[in-house]
Amino acid sequence: MIQVEGLTKIFHDKKRGKIVAVNNLQFNCQKGQVFGLLGPNGAGKTTTLRILATMILPTKGEIMVNGLDIVKHAAKVRRQIGFLSSETGLYDRFTPRETILFFGRINGMADKIIEKRMAEIFQNLDMKDFQDVRVNKLSTGMKQKLSIARSIIHNPPVLILDEPTVGLDIITAKTVIEYVKSFRDQGKCIIYSTHIMREAEKLCDKIAIIHQGNLIAQGTLEELKKNSLFDDLEEIFFELINQGENQE
Amino acid sequence: MSWKNIKLIFIKELVGTIRDKRTIIAMIIIPLIFYPLLFAGIGYFNKVGSMKSEEAASKIIIYGAEFAPQLVKHLQDYEKIEILVIEDDSPSKLQNGDIQAVLVIPSDYKEKIEQEEPNKLMLKYDATEAKSRIAKQRIDQVIEKYQGEILLQRLSRLNLKEEFLTPLILQEENIATAEKITGSFLAVLLPYLIIILIFTGAMHTAVDITAGEKERGTIATLLVSQISRLEIVLGKCFAVMLISFTSMVLGLFGLTLAFLSGTSIARGIEGVKFGISVNTIFLLFLVLFPLVGLASAVLVMVGIFARNIREASSYITPIYMLTIFLGIISISQGIELTGKMFLVPVLNSSFVFKELLMGKIYWSHIITTFSANIIIAGIALFGATRLFNQEEVLFRS
Ligand SMILES: Nc1ncnc2c1ncn2[C@@H]1O[C@H](COP(=O)(O)OP(=O)(O)OP(=O)(O)O)[C@@H](O)[C@H]1O
Ligand SMILES: [Mg+2]
Repeated sequence: MIQVEGLTKIFHDKKRGKIVAVNNLQFNCQKGQVFGLLGPNGAGKTTTLRILATMILPTKGEIMVNGLDIVKHAAKVRRQIGFLSSETGLYDRFTPRETILFFGRINGMADKIIEKRMAEIFQNLDMKDFQDVRVNKLSTGMKQKLSIARSIIHNPPVLILDEPTVGLDIITAKTVIEYVKSFRDQGKCIIYSTHIMREAEKLCDKIAIIHQGNLIAQGTLEELKKNSLFDDLEEIFFELINQGENQE
Repeated sequence: MSWKNIKLIFIKELVGTIRDKRTIIAMIIIPLIFYPLLFAGIGYFNKVGSMKSEEAASKIIIYGAEFAPQLVKHLQDYEKIEILVIEDDSPSKLQNGDIQAVLVIPSDYKEKIEQEEPNKLMLKYDATEAKSRIAKQRIDQVIEKYQGEILLQRLSRLNLKEEFLTPLILQEENIATAEKITGSFLAVLLPYLIIILIFTGAMHTAVDITAGEKERGTIATLLVSQISRLEIVLGKCFAVMLISFTSMVLGLFGLTLAFLSGTSIARGIEGVKFGISVNTIFLLFLVLFPLVGLASAVLVMVGIFARNIREASSYITPIYMLTIFLGIISISQGIELTGKMFLVPVLNSSFVFKELLMGKIYWSHIITTFSANIIIAGIALFGATRLFNQEEVLFRS
């Protein structure tokens, strides 16, 4: 469903000069799979996901979402994806209900269908209690639930989630993870970035480890374990990063 | 492009704006409550002040009163003049306000009157003090009246009639129509006020829904949805236009209220006849609409370009100053624009407003102004849409 080939993104910053944020990435993700992008701060996770979500253009590389080139058919690709990141904020002056209605409508849905889906999502995410409270009065966890609801209201086949559990307590984080699992079971294709090993271990069918823009390993958890001395994702991770740095 | 999407953005921005307390304060409380109260307050205190100084009798000193007993009698008879008899030095008394005027009568007063020669009286007062000015007016009145009596006496001694003094009488008639009187009164200030109100009305919302959205981190949410950049820009621009137009109307209404409440207490409303024709109003709107569009489009573009609200404000300040400058040109009397000058935005509208309010309709000016402003607004909207596609502009921090 998602095919990424030779993805490179170079930024030109006045102070820092040329920054290779993502270098020659290669991966693909199928229906009913959670693909994990695992990497430390500044690895290039957000940059990769922004490109997949058509918010910025790749410097090089070919990316197909559901058979559509993301550069040539950006508008059509947007119809296929739900995008959630720390930068997709919510409107403070609206309530969750109003927010979902608005985003449903601009995604071309009829009000009846929005209402029906909204009721389902609010039920699943346990949002009914605060559905009519303005967003500026909600807690971080409530806001994140609303953000998830917003990103899936139009029922997209592809979900791009950039660190969706960041800043959440363990209970809310668990709800989010369970919910992502249920999307996988519905057959959605999910790209999930995180720097938390445990999450990647629990959730991801395939994991790509990136460091300083480079893909340093890729595969299922079992495959990664097989190619490593270690049994634990965290240790595999440090092993790979050390190898990567020694090569430079 | 779909109107449905534009309308969704338009409504979202309007609802968001109306739920923002600052907008309500700026749009409704300040023009409709604060201005009138302020003006009414100023008018009230003015009135109380002037009533006090008019009620009190003016205290004056006369030097050489013994030389002109009749004149002094006239002054004494005037109810609100009180002649003090003091001996100490008056200039300081005049300065510290104990007395309001000093009249000096020369010692040869009587002889000069008899010889029918001009008589020089000296009146000392303080023009910066309201009470002293009033004292001067009162003394003027008395002297004028007394002088009239002397003149009549002299005329009758010569066997001449009073009419002898007025061989010519000039009668005046003002042929300006009610429309033109209202117009010229309004034409001076109104174009300037309209322009300022449109800009200030658009500013806050335009910045809030563009740079403000970047600052609050909600713009990306909109950009990953299926709505196009153009639809977003248009929806936002239309919302700013409506807010700007409404603020202008409320602002003008508030200022009118303020003006009336200020003057009605102080002086009472003078019967300003209102004479604007329906045609003129229609044409005013025809010129107003592109101006509102232009202001909104430019401000939205600047807001999209800016990283945050603060940066947007600093870009907008010079634009605002330029606007005020162009508006002020229209206030200055005697400046006429030549044909090509009607291509200059803002300036052109203010002059066409002025012409229309004076009852003059120059189609070439109206058409030039209309098209120039629409085209510039269109370019700004196009620019804003292009900016939305530039990642440096969206993700600068
Ligand atoms: N707009 C930009 N201009 C310049 N450099 C950028 C820009 N966006 C990202 N970068 C740089 O690209 C690199 C990758 O950043 P990115 O945000 O993709 O990392 P990340 O993996 O998401 O990190 P984190 O875990 O902190 O979110 C960093 O060095 C960052 O400074
Ligand atoms: Mg990130």
